[in-house]
Amino acid sequence: MKLMRTPKKVDIDITNRCNLRCRYCYHFESAGDADGDGDLPAEEWLRFFGELNRCAVTEVTLAGGEPFLRGDLREIIRGVVENRMRFAILTNGTLITDEMAAFLASTKRCNYVQVSIDGSVPESHDAMRGRGSFARALQGLQALRRNGVRAAVRVTIHRKNVHDLEGIARFLLEDIGLGSFGTNSAGAMGLCRKNAEMVQLTVEDRILAMETLLRLSKQYNGRIQAMAGPLAEARTWLDMEDARLEGRPPMPDRGALTGCGCYRSSLSVRADGVITPCTMLSQIELGRINRDDLATLWREHGLLNALRERGHIPLSRFPFCEGCDYVPYCTGNCPGLSYTLAGEVNHPSPDACLRKFLAEGGRLPDRALLC
Amino acid sequence: MDVKKPIANPLIVLREEFDDWAILFDPDTGNAFGLNPTGVFIWKLLDGRHNPDDIVNRLREEADNVPEDAGEHARRFIASLEQQGLVGYEIEQGPGAGTGVRG
Repeated sequence: MKLMRTPKKVDIDITNRCNLRCRYCYHFESAGDADGDGDLPAEEWLRFFGELNRCAVTEVTLAGGEPFLRGDLREIIRGVVENRMRFAILTNGTLITDEMAAFLASTKRCNYVQVSIDGSVPESHDAMRGRGSFARALQGLQALRRNGVRAAVRVTIHRKNVHDLEGIARFLLEDIGLGSFGTNSAGAMGLCRKNAEMVQLTVEDRILAMETLLRLSKQYNGRIQAMAGPLAEARTWLDMEDARLEGRPPMPDRGALTGCGCYRSSLSVRADGVITPCTMLSQIELGRINRDDLATLWREHGLLNALRERGHIPLSRFPFCEGCDYVPYCTGNCPGLSYTLAGEVNHPSPDACLRKFLAEGGRLPDRALLC
Repeated sequence: MDVKKPIANPLIVLREEFDDWAILFDPDTGNAFGLNPTGVFIWKLLDGRHNPDDIVNRLREEADNVPEDAGEHARRFIASLEQQGLVGYEIEQGPGAGTGVRG
């Protein structure tokens, strides 16, 4: 596959600080939780944005930590704008004021601000994010909407809200009136791994979440979306099961470690300025901003190019996949989760294994629930 | 002879991808426009110093088998860029007033 000359998008942790300590945060206690000597000064980021401009990068995602904790966030965003880029922000929403939302709108460059809302009532949201965070996140969300900033809501599904999915859909789509929202589940990284017993979905929870989300997605005409987590898994796994039952030929780009190719179009930067392939692979240090030439690193770094070759490694090579009928239809999924769970990037992710899910008592939803 | 010398809107990002193809990205709208290698060649000469005839002459110097009607194609291409706000022209604004760009 041909490689872009430069990355199209860069994900940046502009701070390592956060006003919350969500029990399933993938950032804290991961390699991305890079202490350093506090936040890098805005000047460092502005200088880096100049390089992104020269590299024709078109979008940055500002994350953290909590980006709105930075007192100089406006200066940083102005730097994004002056360097011909658009931006998105990932936030817990609790610090967004009307003034800040108006500023974001005034830039005309904000693709979206993603706010995490995990419940229809404070109990299910605050259980993992801390008391009072639900009300403050909603205030932030409404400030964005009042000021015409596109707000994308992400619902992270965990043990305390998996029974509230109908309420969440009704609350977000009907009461608040969002056009859509996205879902995910707490992945086994960072604090989530430490708090797995309290947070991560059991097999029974996953069955419930898949069935409920498929039904709700149909009921709300596809307004519930997912790139990962139970809803995405339900769709992918049903497709794989159909393929297996019908004896279909291998699917294109399956049967090898093809899961996620983000490092073909984007890079990430930790809060300490270290460049990594992805926020989920923040232990792989490729270089440092304002020291290493980004375009050269992008094209020539050995670790990055090795990741890009990962798609040529057949799943049949792994004892983990031995005898599995789903191999011709499987991608091995997220290399970040593979590293966390299996200890190596070049391995299929055990968390996303359909055979393992079924062996542990899992059950696929009724395919009539598909949209 | 067309004397207008188009200038690429400096806000527009030229993202050269692979095999000399590229996209023009307008960060204000988020819109992207695909360019083939000839389009990329023309875009790089939209510097306010070349009119369409100059550009086609340069193209004939650099490439083989340039069609007879390349000039007409180039004018239409530049006009379409202008319509989308990707290109403007430097204009005289009167004595002492300096110059401006309209698009």
